[in-house]
Amino acid sequence: MKRLACALTVGGLLAAAALLCRRLLRSGLAGGRAGATRLRVERGRAAVQLAVRGGVRYASSAPRLFASAGEHRQQLRTDLALQTAEDVASTLGAMKGVLMKIGQMASYVDDGLSPAVRRTLSRLQDSVPPMSAELAARVVTEELGQPPERVFGRWDPEPIAAASIGQVHRAITRDGRAVAVKVQYPGIAETIAADLQNVALLRRMLKITAPSQDVDALIAELRDRVLEELDYRREASNQQTIAAHFAGHPTIQVPGIVSELSTRRVVTSELADGARFAELAGWSQQERDLAAETIYRFTFRSLYGAHLFNGDPHPGNYLFHGGGRVTFLDFGLVKCFSLAELQPLIDMVRYLCVDEDPEGFRAAMVRAGFLLPDAPVSTDTVVEHMAVFYDTVRRPGRLQITGDYASAVVRRFFDVRSPLARYVSVPRSYVILQRINLGLFAVLGELTATADWRAIAEEIWPFVQGRPATPMGEAEAAWRASRGDPEPLPA
Amino acid sequence: MSTVEQDPYATAEDLVARSAAAYAASVPEDPADEGFFGPGSVAWRVSRDLSSPVAGLRALLLQALHPLAMAGVDQHSDWRRDPVGRLAATSAYLATINFAERAVAERAAARVRRIHERVTGVDTVTGRRYAAGDPALLLWVHSTLVESGIVAAGLFGTPLSAADSDRYVAEMVVAAELVGVPPGQVPASAAELDRYLSSVRPELRCTAAAQESMAYLLDPPGLDEDIAEIWQFIRNAAVASLPPWARGRYGYPEPEPLTDSRRAEFRQALGVLDTVFLGEPGVLEARQRIELRARAARRP
Repeated sequence: MKRLACALTVGGLLAAAALLCRRLLRSGLAGGRAGATRLRVERGRAAVQLAVRGGVRYASSAPRLFASAGEHRQQLRTDLALQTAEDVASTLGAMKGVLMKIGQMASYVDDGLSPAVRRTLSRLQDSVPPMSAELAARVVTEELGQPPERVFGRWDPEPIAAASIGQVHRAITRDGRAVAVKVQYPGIAETIAADLQNVALLRRMLKITAPSQDVDALIAELRDRVLEELDYRREASNQQTIAAHFAGHPTIQVPGIVSELSTRRVVTSELADGARFAELAGWSQQERDLAAETIYRFTFRSLYGAHLFNGDPHPGNYLFHGGGRVTFLDFGLVKCFSLAELQPLIDMVRYLCVDEDPEGFRAAMVRAGFLLPDAPVSTDTVVEHMAVFYDTVRRPGRLQITGDYASAVVRRFFDVRSPLARYVSVPRSYVILQRINLGLFAVLGELTATADWRAIAEEIWPFVQGRPATPMGEAEAAWRASRGDPEPLPA
Repeated sequence: MSTVEQDPYATAEDLVARSAAAYAASVPEDPADEGFFGPGSVAWRVSRDLSSPVAGLRALLLQALHPLAMAGVDQHSDWRRDPVGRLAATSAYLATINFAERAVAERAAARVRRIHERVTGVDTVTGRRYAAGDPALLLWVHSTLVESGIVAAGLFGTPLSAADSDRYVAEMVVAAELVGVPPGQVPASAAELDRYLSSVRPELRCTAAAQESMAYLLDPPGLDEDIAEIWQFIRNAAVASLPPWARGRYGYPEPEPLTDSRRAEFRQALGVLDTVFLGEPGVLEARQRIELRARAARRP
């Protein structure tokens, strides 16, 4: 029995990527139980099963995740800087750039990579030095038509942070705005694309029992996702959409994009500064609760209000300013939903938590494609299994989200031994939502945040439109009113 | 299989970790001088080339075809008891000769010469006496390594120009002299190297010991499953890079033609192996030490 199932979904892709990393980099699976790694290849449920293992471990060991890719290379070795595009190719060619990208994508969902693999991937990142000032300037010149000193009012040639395949420079625009300019390594997209064109090695590494056209489709999907992330224009447009959606919000801040200074390999956004996630450990619980409330509101206002979900709820992507104000960074992975895609999810919440209609809930699950229509399990079992997901919002009252809770949620959902496991799957368009469980709850759990999540959710749920439940909710309502958003209906 | 009752080979499970440790420990922190080659040398470039694992394996495949060289390894060294240790020691020696200061490189070479003094015997296949310190054997080992570096870089790494190939062969003369080949006997240009290699060819044959040793190297038992997969590519690349006559001696089947896409695949496998190697403690720092020396030398 081969280990890897073919699930042509983002989650399947990431799980595949995680497994790929494991296989490439000789990891033992956590716990070393070889038997547990043998997954039956069955389309549909395979995605769940694959995500399972990653998911459980993600949540249970979430704190280890809290170092962003860039922080690995905080100490930038400028004495080893890459000076030419050839340096870039020799440093990141021969699959290394691909492995780095896959490793990053996998690390977002899957902390189940063994310590050996994580060490290897982090060493791989460490092994990529920043660009020399000249090389970075050359990319800016190629992209923006003039050298950075001319494009910007002021340009700091010393990078302030490493991005996955680029680096971040500070600058001041000619009209005086402080900005962060992310500059991509020259030739990296071509190098990675070339490695993803020649797929014999990947194909062999993936060792999928599925028909070979599925393997090729999986690799094609991997190539598309990786190449998509290499085009900064997409990220810029996501960020712009979200920044516009939350413009003026009392606690949610999204740095604006300077579009005229953003291209495929350069993205310029307003410079943001603030406390990193790790520093929150030293903040009062009240401050942490407020930060958590903002993150929660951001996630679900994005989803219900803008039909967007930032698939990267990664602690490295937040900056904290106190009073619950949070800056959200990095929109490389954003999923837009159609209302048709969103409706069954909304129905599920509504039937379970508001209408308390188990059959309605089950029917919505089937409509969403989560549950086989004729699954021979009782509705009670379905509800019992799924309810843990909604634990934070089923009943009113203050509730603390702990790391244990986050782990339990994920573990339950992905419990392959549950009577439901055979009949559930995650349709492609929803896979990214798993990150709410995988990422958001891990973050909230890490903050040990307490709030009346149900009351906050009621504010956001379009079918309830509850009254503001917290001071932040009041401020948000005022902001929405000022924008002409519909007033919450009286409860 | 073997002509002499021999112990079975030990497994190769720590191949990557031990080679990496040996390498990292042999790249000096703060050398007193730039050693026998120096940052601007082609030797440094070749030793740092992505293709070097293939070069090493190819060299071993050729070296083993010399019955006396093979007998010395098979009958004396720790080869069977601890093949991985033997390979790691070789990798440490090569890193030392390349990157250590001269005094350290000389001491390492003296140690190898001393060990060689004790390695003498009679080859059971040819009935000929052998001595590991025999310049003829040392020259064979040296020359195959140098040629393999050029061939592997040409196929799977950054190819050397004709001029750089000549320079590399000339630079490497000192390495042969360090282990005891008398001055003047070592090929000093690519053409001389080719002539020398052709001249030895009639003596070469695939003994049972060679067949067995190389079977071990091509498919080392006990490797972690994932490394084993990568190793198959490295192995296939090394076999594909051999001259046809050498493959013929071993009876290996003709490999698929080395198309551009096949070479890219081998390069990718080398990159993955290199990533694993890089993940071992100390390897990145060792490489950074070398890179910093190379950069310091380039500065005006």
